[in-house]
Amino acid sequence: MGVSSRLAFGEFKEHKKIYAIIIVVIALTMTSFMLENAYINYMMQVVDDTTKLTTSDAVIIDPSCNIRDIYGTEVELKNAGKIASEIEERLPGYTTSVRVTSQGSYAFDVENEAVDGCTIQGIDPKKDNALVNIKDKIVKGRFFEEGDPITRGHTPIYIQIEGLGNLPNFAYGTSEKMLEDEKPYPIIIGATVTKVHPSINVGKTFSVTISTSGRKTSFASVNVKVIGLYESGTPTLDTMIWFMHADSLREIKGYGEITGDDWYIPGVGTFRGYKPIEVDENRGDVVIVKAPQAINYLDPIGYSEGVKDTLEKLLPNHNIYTWHDFLVYIAGSMQDVVTIMLWGSIAVTLILCCASIKYVMDSIILRKTREIGSLKAFGARDRVIFKIFLYQGLIIGFIAGLIGIFLSIVVMNFVNWYGLNLEFVAGTQIKIGFIINWLTLLVSMLLPICLAVLAAAAPAKKASTLSPVEALRKGELAL
Amino acid sequence: MSKKQKPIIRLDKISKKYGEYKVEIKALDNVSLEIHPGEFVSIIGPSGCGKSTLLHCMGLLDRPTSGTVYIEGKDTSKITGKEISSFRGDKLGFVFQNYNLIPRLTVLENVMLPGLIMNKDPDDLEKRSRLLLKEVGIAHRINHKGIHLSGGEQQKVAIARALINEPVLVLADEPTGALDSENSNEIMDILVKMNEKQHSTFVFVSHDLDVARYGKRTIAIKDGKIISDTSDDSNDFKSMLKTFDKHKKIRRGR
Repeated sequence: MGVSSRLAFGEFKEHKKIYAIIIVVIALTMTSFMLENAYINYMMQVVDDTTKLTTSDAVIIDPSCNIRDIYGTEVELKNAGKIASEIEERLPGYTTSVRVTSQGSYAFDVENEAVDGCTIQGIDPKKDNALVNIKDKIVKGRFFEEGDPITRGHTPIYIQIEGLGNLPNFAYGTSEKMLEDEKPYPIIIGATVTKVHPSINVGKTFSVTISTSGRKTSFASVNVKVIGLYESGTPTLDTMIWFMHADSLREIKGYGEITGDDWYIPGVGTFRGYKPIEVDENRGDVVIVKAPQAINYLDPIGYSEGVKDTLEKLLPNHNIYTWHDFLVYIAGSMQDVVTIMLWGSIAVTLILCCASIKYVMDSIILRKTREIGSLKAFGARDRVIFKIFLYQGLIIGFIAGLIGIFLSIVVMNFVNWYGLNLEFVAGTQIKIGFIINWLTLLVSMLLPICLAVLAAAAPAKKASTLSPVEALRKGELAL
Repeated sequence: MSKKQKPIIRLDKISKKYGEYKVEIKALDNVSLEIHPGEFVSIIGPSGCGKSTLLHCMGLLDRPTSGTVYIEGKDTSKITGKEISSFRGDKLGFVFQNYNLIPRLTVLENVMLPGLIMNKDPDDLEKRSRLLLKEVGIAHRINHKGIHLSGGEQQKVAIARALINEPVLVLADEPTGALDSENSNEIMDILVKMNEKQHSTFVFVSHDLDVARYGKRTIAIKDGKIISDTSDDSNDFKSMLKTFDKHKKIRRGR
């Protein structure tokens, strides 16, 4: 151990009481920083996971649509299948899925249960599961299986009524009980729906009115049967996002070859009727894209933007959004605001700590002027004196960082183990959890060290540049 | 000690001026001086006469406004920064009026400190420190903290500390200034003993004529000028006492 570090440790021990106060304040600040950051990480991961159910890394929609349509109001994406194939062919490692999307509404005629809405994602079970891993999120029931009645071989009975006077045109269809053995479409819903609507659970068959166009007042009521409940961690979003088989929605929306003619009834409208349909797998409303595993996992947003850039080069005439675009759209810039506020409050506390370190060291130097003069007389270079005080900053920052990390890990482990839940909307619960990443750990360790060293640098410089004779004389005066 | 030997330190017409509020104070005025190996020199003079400034210039703690300080023939005005620190640590030892021990360090650690600063081997330093502490008669308190020692004991540690790097010159600024007469005599006896036994060269500053009497050579300063030097054959301590008789009376009056 060098003479500077020996003396620094001695100084630190001598002033341990005042330094301990500073260390505790910094450590608690860092604990608070880590806990808040870890909770934000947890929440964001949960929200990101949920958001990615709808978008994966990126989503391509028709140029006439914008980000608000990702709720299920996209118009059909022309050449969806071709776009998906092109991406997979030209961008190695990229995987895609053509989805059909829609919006739905439902009610149970029960006094305490309101009419509710949802966005229905029509998925390809194999491809989409590989992209966004829905199967693992099933908490009750099951995922789609071979042999599920995903199509019926006909479109719903569909009648388009011309609007009278100022009334808009309206189209309505239904496929319920058209055949003796008509089976409901299988559907997977968020587990939280069962809390908001206690009359729903796995096995329940009910009617959902589904929009058959992203732009027109055109709906079809169909029977669905709940085969599974999923949990992504974000209760409110789980309530809204439901999954059907893509072919089910293709059939409902008429994405395929429909045989037979429509009947026109004057004064009423067009009656399409009950016609056989062969669904076209290449038709859909969006193409969702998963990019190869991010190398820079510390910057998922930056990575996601990079994926967007790559796709935009390949498909310059399409609208492409990332999961983060969607997240910002649904949550505003909440994440950014929370992060800025967190950093702001941490910064204020740390600045105060730095000021106290500087003030304490300044007063120590004033008291130790004669000691500094003596050391210089014994041949100590400016660098040696500088390091004595700088090392004290280093020790303060290091201990504060360690204590901060230790405390936060204890709290996080306790909360994660204890499983703290908060009552949320309409009886749903939200789990409090923490995710700590290496970046947060690194920042929590390095930030107090850097700041304490920085705060110590000015007094250290002042001490090191004292002239020996002045220091000896001032020391006499100080005593 | 022979004047034929090269001087350890030579001051060549050094002056030191301080300026404050447009008032210029001349602390040293054209002082020339040579100290030879093995000498035991006392510098006396009234308060504010410039004796401490002279010691600081000799110890390279302060720079003269004009003139040159040569140590072992080397022009010290040409060395700066870290070289001057190394030079100071290597060639010079210091004893201060208020001892300046680091209170939180033990006696042994205090003595070793200048050696550690000069990156010397800690084991060798410890051996030498123990030896020096034995020489100055404080070996029994080797593991005590400096703060727990009496004034006289602290100054003994300071003397051992000044000698740890085997300096060519030890400079002592009022080494007995904070001690009673009994302790003063003990400290001066130790300095004389170390001068004879270690063959170290000592220059000490004192305003106390009883202490200055220990000097084998005495230099008297007044108003920044050397007014008497017993190495000069025309001077002796008795004639010097006459010069400072007035001050002596003042001191005795106290």
